[in-house]
Amino acid sequence: MNVSYAETWLHGINPSLKLGVLIVLCIVALFIHDLNYMMNITIGVLLLFLFFTGHSIKRILLLSIPFCFIFISTSSAMILFGQGEKLWFEWGLISITEESFMRGLLVGFRALFFAVLGLTFSLTTRPVNLFYSLMQQVRLKPKYAYSFMAALRLIPIMMEEFQTIRNAMKVRGFERGKGIKSVYFKMKAYSVPLLSGSIRRAHRIAVAMEAKRFTDSRDRTYYYEFGFSKKDHGFILYFIILLLAGFYLSIQFPLVSI
Amino acid sequence: MKKGLKLTDILVTIVIAVAFGIVYILWGSIYYSVKPLGLHLDQLIYGMWFIAGPVAFFILRKPGVALLAEIAAASGEFFLGSPWGLTVLLYGVVQGLFAELVFMGFKYKKFNMPVAVLAAMASCLASVIMDFAYGEIGALSTWNLSLFMIARFVGSIFFAGVTAYYLVKVLEATGVTNLVRPVSNKDYAELD
Amino acid sequence: MEPIVSVEKLRMKFPGDESLIFKDLSLSFDQGEKVLLLGPSGCGKSTLLQVLSGLIPNSIEVPMKAEKLKCPSSWGYVFQDPDSQFCMPFADEEIAFVLENLSVPKEEMKEKIQNHFRKVGLNLDHTSIDTLSGGMKQRLAIASVLALEPEVIFLDEPTAMLDPEGTKEIWDLLKEVGKDKTVIIVEHKIDHVLEFIERIVLLNDDGQIIADGPRDTILSLYKNEMREHGIWFPGVWDEYIQKYAPTREHQFTDGLPLLDVQGFSGFRNKEEKIHVEELKVHSGEWIVIRGENGAGKSTLLHALMQFIKTKGTYELLGTPIKIVKNPTDHMTFVFQNPEFQFVANTVYEEIAYSLRIDKRPQQEIDERVRSLLKVFRLEAHRDKHPFQLSMGQKRRLSVAASIVIDKKIILLDEPTFGQDSKNTFALLEWFEEYRRRGITVIMVTHDEHISKNFATRIWTVKDGNVISDENIAQAGFVETKVKRSVM
Ligand SMILES: Nc1ncnc2c1ncn2[C@@H]1O[C@H](COP(=O)(O)OP(=O)(O)OP(=O)(O)O)[C@@H](O)[C@H]1O
Ligand SMILES: Nc1ncnc2c1ncn2[C@@H]1O[C@H](COP(=O)(O)OP(=O)(O)OP(=O)(O)O)[C@@H](O)[C@H]1O
Ligand SMILES: [Mg+2]
Ligand SMILES: [Mg+2]
Repeated sequence: MNVSYAETWLHGINPSLKLGVLIVLCIVALFIHDLNYMMNITIGVLLLFLFFTGHSIKRILLLSIPFCFIFISTSSAMILFGQGEKLWFEWGLISITEESFMRGLLVGFRALFFAVLGLTFSLTTRPVNLFYSLMQQVRLKPKYAYSFMAALRLIPIMMEEFQTIRNAMKVRGFERGKGIKSVYFKMKAYSVPLLSGSIRRAHRIAVAMEAKRFTDSRDRTYYYEFGFSKKDHGFILYFIILLLAGFYLSIQFPLVSI
Repeated sequence: MKKGLKLTDILVTIVIAVAFGIVYILWGSIYYSVKPLGLHLDQLIYGMWFIAGPVAFFILRKPGVALLAEIAAASGEFFLGSPWGLTVLLYGVVQGLFAELVFMGFKYKKFNMPVAVLAAMASCLASVIMDFAYGEIGALSTWNLSLFMIARFVGSIFFAGVTAYYLVKVLEATGVTNLVRPVSNKDYAELD
Repeated sequence: MEPIVSVEKLRMKFPGDESLIFKDLSLSFDQGEKVLLLGPSGCGKSTLLQVLSGLIPNSIEVPMKAEKLKCPSSWGYVFQDPDSQFCMPFADEEIAFVLENLSVPKEEMKEKIQNHFRKVGLNLDHTSIDTLSGGMKQRLAIASVLALEPEVIFLDEPTAMLDPEGTKEIWDLLKEVGKDKTVIIVEHKIDHVLEFIERIVLLNDDGQIIADGPRDTILSLYKNEMREHGIWFPGVWDEYIQKYAPTREHQFTDGLPLLDVQGFSGFRNKEEKIHVEELKVHSGEWIVIRGENGAGKSTLLHALMQFIKTKGTYELLGTPIKIVKNPTDHMTFVFQNPEFQFVANTVYEEIAYSLRIDKRPQQEIDERVRSLLKVFRLEAHRDKHPFQLSMGQKRRLSVAASIVIDKKIILLDEPTFGQDSKNTFALLEWFEEYRRRGITVIMVTHDEHISKNFATRIWTVKDGNVISDENIAQAGFVETKVKRSVM
């Protein structure tokens, strides 16, 4: 994924802190049962996503498409089949009630909230930075951190390997089979070499890492060092204000009335 | 020696998991294309998301592997920019933990199909618990909820139990598992 | 003096193998020695190096025991496979990883990294490792070993994938940095190594030491043994060419060209990585493609195989390539990295794969596979997984598996690297026999002996362009055209 983007203040936030704040927010969101409140804070994170990730607006809009999908798919089951008293519409098994509709929206917005937060994070954080920061700020053991980084390096290699296996099979005449049986056959033909190849490669990389004197000791130096700065305070402040203001507005100026 | 996972174990586990992370993302597009139907047909294939834990554990056969695998698969998905972002991370931890508990219950010594199925069901249970908190599925009408549960459990048993078990069997045939399993005393004896 | 590395009565056996790979092997090295381990492909050189460094059994568990084993405390290891020795996504981060392991302060890192890059002739900064060519990766691997500042350096064919220039540079470099270090080398191509080392250890097929002594003594006294075991020694090629003189005549000039490309480009990630002005290929040619590491040789083959996006005119047997249904019906390909192409679980099935898909009768499959196993000296390993083979064996298997069904054109990406002399000659004779039957061989190789003695035509690739096309066939059709590049 080699897309160019500008660095924004979100890139400068300490990665561990960013992740921590996001996880706390997600847990908080699980306990928010008020639709207006949920909507307000979702708008708050949407703002970050739309304007502060440093990616082009075209790309951002492209990435937003799945959001609509998420929203519809999570809310629809609840809207169509949820329990409730005030019946709006009934047709066969489907019964839309006011409660189920509102709850459906709530669930939809919550999913949207999670999705936007997650994507904002991954658009503004290099995984390598995150793991360096996790080692430094959260004392994650280096053997886990570096394993993750090595594995992430393998992702494009695995994708390419998939392509290569395809090519190799073409060379060997595999593509000829058609039909359902050959689909199963193909699944097996791809997944097994891919998986066993990845395991062997992982093993070899682990050996190479140990050959480069990697140990799990924590007194290592770091090429990238992460600390905390004013930006981090600003980041936390943003969400505190968002939570408070969102709550206040949901009571004073509710967008929908229940 | 016994304590903790070695670098090799961790790296192999994470790589297996990340490979499944890619599968998960692809799977997600299938899942969400059937989901809006609302009749929970989608739940039949939900079980795929529990497969990394059992597969990794059956390959490495060590404590902690199942949990690590589910977390790693979820993070892989997360970093690749899955729209489910953080949700999968939270779910991953809980699902992995439940599967891990099953393997622990068997003292990490049993590697047969029933154990795989139990672990799959445990992960499934975990996901249901998360769904109650997150998606408020408790408010679904009863018939709908039962359909939902049955479909999800059946799917889990199939994907994370049976499929995982056979996948590892096939992998064992390629000899790759020998890399990560301890050498038997018999092999040492043959040196004399 | 106490040896710096030593092993006594080493016994070792891969699980599932019938016999021991080492039986009571003893060997020791003194501080500062430069030693070359020589032996036929598959005799256990890489394995031995791993034992001496302590990787076996500390990182790789293989049943072994030794009465005494002394591994060095400070060492570096360059692996045979350039692809899977890195754990970080970017070149600078990879060197930084080593520096971190050594607790080098952060402030010094940037400069050290640049130093190490410069030493191995890499002009990189924050460059993604995935975009490096095979040769550049190997240089990076050497740079990361240098970063360890080791006392003992283990080198397992560090230059197998490098161009001649690069090979010479790397050995010059290793001479320089290895001056006051102990260096233990495994290498088949020994031209540049010989002046560097002072001692040679000869191994035979069974992993036994047949000779161990000063370089000149071994070279003069053990010529016969070396010849017999297929070990490269100075002058092997001359001897061989006297015995087996490839004719290099080219008689198949009639008819349409097999391949005809004009204004043809290959793309990777939407970037043009190879461009060909005009080339026509006829049957029965042996074309060698050469060029520096990263020039685009592999990319050219990939473009011809249609593995990557291409533009321009490309006709295969007179038909535009876009209309040809399965280009692979007419061409076969051997990947640069043999592991990329393994699809089956055993060596036997790997070779049988294409035959099985072609639904050939079992008896024919068996005969064909057996004969190939024999030619490529893999009989003893028929039930192993392809990944368990030694580097040279993998390479041979990948060739065998690709040529099991006759195609009109064979494209090979460095088919002879990491091979001992016996196997190299066997492979070359095999290709020559194909060529005489009218099959076209297109091969990327850095081996000048092959271009000098077997090729009928040589293409040179530079910076993504085919800059020259020399026809050196001895008789018949002559078409010498030098193309200008479009740079
Ligand atoms: N993991 C393994 N399992 C089983 N057999 C193995 C394994 N690794 C290597 N072997 C076998 O051990 C032998 C020695 O392998 P090794 O890689 O040491 O050879 P080598 O001398 O380095 O050969 P080359 O010059 O071709 O690289 C080979 O016959 C190989 O098939
Ligand atoms: N998968 C890839 N993605 C992007 N760029 C690539 C890829 N593979 C190669 N390249 C780039 O394409 C150029 C040509 O590479 P190629 O592998 O064809 O070189 P080569 O001549 O085969 O070198 P070598 O002798 O080292 O194998 C190089 O600049 C390399 O960095
Ligand atoms: Mg070797
Ligand atoms: Mg190449």
